[in-house]
Amino acid sequence: MDSHLTLAIYFVYFCLGLIGIGMLSLFWFRIRSNRMEKKQELYLQKHQDYFKFIQTHLNGASDLPLPPGKLTKLERRVIQNKLIEWIEQFKGEIRDKLVKLCQDAGFVSEDIKLLDSLFYGRRISAAYRLGGMRAAEAVPRMLIMLEKQRYSPLTIVIARAIAKSAERGDQLKEMLHHLLRHGKPIHNMAADILMETGLDSSRLLLKLLEDENPDLVKVALVAMWGQAVPEVVPALDRLVGTGEKDVRAEAVKLYLSSNPVLKDDTIRELMADSDWEVRAAVAKSLGNTHAAGSIPLLRTALQDSNWRVRSNSAESLAKLGETGFEVLCQIAKNGSGIEREAALHQVEKAMLEEGEHQKLDQMVAYNKKKLLYERYFGVSESKPVRQVAAVGGDYTA
Amino acid sequence: MQQSEGITLLRDILLIYGLFATYYVMTVNVVYFSIMAFSFRNIMTIFRRAAYSKFNTLSGSELVPSISLLVPAYNEEVTVIENVKCLLTLNYPTYEVIVINDGSSDDTLGVLRREFGLEPLPNPEMRNSIDCQTINSVYYNPQYPHLYVIDKPNGGKADSLNAGINLSHYPLISSIDADSLLEKDALIRMARMYMENPEETVAIGGDVRIANGCVIENGAVKEISLPRKMWPMFQAVEYLKAFLGGRIGWSHINGLIIVSGAFGLFRKDYVIAVGGYRGGYPGEDMNIIIKLHRYMLENKLKYRIAFCPEAVCWTQAPDTYRILSNQRKRWGRGNLKNMIENYDMAFNPKYKVMGLLTMPYNIIFEALNPYFKITGLLALIGYTMLDMTHWRVLAVFWLVNFLSGYLLSIGALLLEELAFKRFKKLSDLVRMMFYSAIKFFGYAQLGGLWRIQGHIQYLRNNNSWGTMTRQSWQEKSDTAKSA
Repeated sequence: MDSHLTLAIYFVYFCLGLIGIGMLSLFWFRIRSNRMEKKQELYLQKHQDYFKFIQTHLNGASDLPLPPGKLTKLERRVIQNKLIEWIEQFKGEIRDKLVKLCQDAGFVSEDIKLLDSLFYGRRISAAYRLGGMRAAEAVPRMLIMLEKQRYSPLTIVIARAIAKSAERGDQLKEMLHHLLRHGKPIHNMAADILMETGLDSSRLLLKLLEDENPDLVKVALVAMWGQAVPEVVPALDRLVGTGEKDVRAEAVKLYLSSNPVLKDDTIRELMADSDWEVRAAVAKSLGNTHAAGSIPLLRTALQDSNWRVRSNSAESLAKLGETGFEVLCQIAKNGSGIEREAALHQVEKAMLEEGEHQKLDQMVAYNKKKLLYERYFGVSESKPVRQVAAVGGDYTA
Repeated sequence: MQQSEGITLLRDILLIYGLFATYYVMTVNVVYFSIMAFSFRNIMTIFRRAAYSKFNTLSGSELVPSISLLVPAYNEEVTVIENVKCLLTLNYPTYEVIVINDGSSDDTLGVLRREFGLEPLPNPEMRNSIDCQTINSVYYNPQYPHLYVIDKPNGGKADSLNAGINLSHYPLISSIDADSLLEKDALIRMARMYMENPEETVAIGGDVRIANGCVIENGAVKEISLPRKMWPMFQAVEYLKAFLGGRIGWSHINGLIIVSGAFGLFRKDYVIAVGGYRGGYPGEDMNIIIKLHRYMLENKLKYRIAFCPEAVCWTQAPDTYRILSNQRKRWGRGNLKNMIENYDMAFNPKYKVMGLLTMPYNIIFEALNPYFKITGLLALIGYTMLDMTHWRVLAVFWLVNFLSGYLLSIGALLLEELAFKRFKKLSDLVRMMFYSAIKFFGYAQLGGLWRIQGHIQYLRNNNSWGTMTRQSWQEKSDTAKSA
């Protein structure tokens, strides 16, 4: 019993000791943090004139200097952070000038040295700042760091720093290799990181599309989203038939966003794809390409098990003139279940757009649809379309 | 003779109980300190992740996943406008806000309609992926294209969330309480965490902090300060300990049992796969997480349920005894229901960390904790009456309990100071230390009492929500400024 009590008393002392250390640490951290913040504010105030000088000479021909006199370590860090903030905001020559100032001031070399620090935290913060300073000379060292890094949120920090600083496409490719080797499907994140580069990304993306690593291809496809240029269409044409499910879906979406003319067989094949994203993308594109011949396919797709496919098909039918709209009205009136729901929603949505048509041709198209609508649903005052004439609904949002 | 035999038996029972209680306290402290150790292990990564991630590119990127924010609202006429305005101005590329008016008896729907000029949609496209009550109407205004308001009969928070899921258009959903304010970057921080591992992440919880005492302007917290009233202050230190000291550690071992209903992000496909939120009882936020764990483990899918402490949601804490006790009884009821419903997971190796640690911990050290406290107190009385103990033993036992608990609180304050540094004033630090200590003298015991009362309500089938009043953010902010 006594030995237990003695043990408990030791535990009490142990807790008291840790609590004491904890409390002292808390006060120390708080006081130090407040003091640092005050000093930083003070230095920012002190160098206001210098910052104004830099801003007014950003377009000048001569190199930018550091403020005169001896600077403390914290003072240098405050100036460095301000320069990094501006580098993020500017582009072109102004950015280059600020980058050169960081190099001349020794900020870059100091942080490169820190990449070899024994402390992990210092290495990460140095990599972050080097990325901010677009330090091309630090890229080889940061690539090694990324290669050795276990996958964690900080992998993203290093990869982003490399993307910002890389001066060659192969460095970006190596960065992507290291980033994606962990087998995580982080293609969107990788694409976002890749787009941080100051290099011409379009050439690199084209190269990545040809790569044998499907992960790199997918990153390129994701990064190109919404900006498919004619040069990539042959590559996309090839990728649409690839066996990699994810790559195919992305390729189809990108391919269709360039509004290509599709063969009937290809459309049928894609609309029967097992991936709903592919079917939804095709259904959407059929409305944009005004492919009236695809109305039967879209009609069938109103029964698709996926809501997005049904919704896109109905939207496309509404875009395919009176014939497409009449199909919608027929199903809305006589259909049942999910296909009726999708059609009815689209019909009502089209009718709600009454006040939104400014151009003559839009008004004519609208009036034709309205006549069709009235043929199927009548002109009753109690029709929803009249009740909510000023209301729209963007269900594709 | 018989009396002395009875006393001997009683002494034996008390001795066995004393031994059991000692091991109980030791085990619970080992679990607490281990979880806290995991939190410390991760805290610098969290700090660096937060400090070295800038969201200027990400928050304008098409590459970020789209999110539907679901905001159930029941009698929230006082706060809902401010909250919706806050949600409509988040730094996030593609998202929609779906407010679900759960049959409010006040003018929640009216104030929303007037403020945002909302009109009913003739044929709202509800997908009915999950069972929920039939809705009355969906309100919309094209001038606010990302805002939808569902009006439905009262059916509870879970039913409201299910209705929101049925209308939602995006692959990720986020549940947000109507009395809470999100920080501008909260959503993008969560999305960044999701993008780091999109395949395995099924849910992410945000950090909930107490807004009482803060200055709030235009739907955002402008000046952070601690609450001045006693009850919210206790909750402020309690939340810090639970979120920073607990959830960071639990998420590290993928054993998180709850993502706060006030702010969480979920993969919609998995929420639908588990049948959505369970209606008819409180604790739906814990229930959905247990169901997700169960589903993923039974289907042998690799997954994680993460905690993102840098994604912050500010909430109004109850500031009176009555409201706080009602809230805690509700929590106690919900917790017990979840434990009873999922008892089969406890000690079942099939459910890995959930089965072998999280569930047993929650049953033994959370749900049953107040009963051990009460029996412990009775045993102490017995020891004293039977002269089985000495004041020194009692004092040491009490000190072990108090100091280990206080050490955990100090640990949580250290985590806050290392990674977030939100409370700048030294006086705030002193107040947090003070309240962390005095909560062991009354508040902790009340917590046990409320939990037992919640359990009694459960057994009596009393499923009432209790009183919950709201104060406008503007009023709260004015009070905070004038202080």
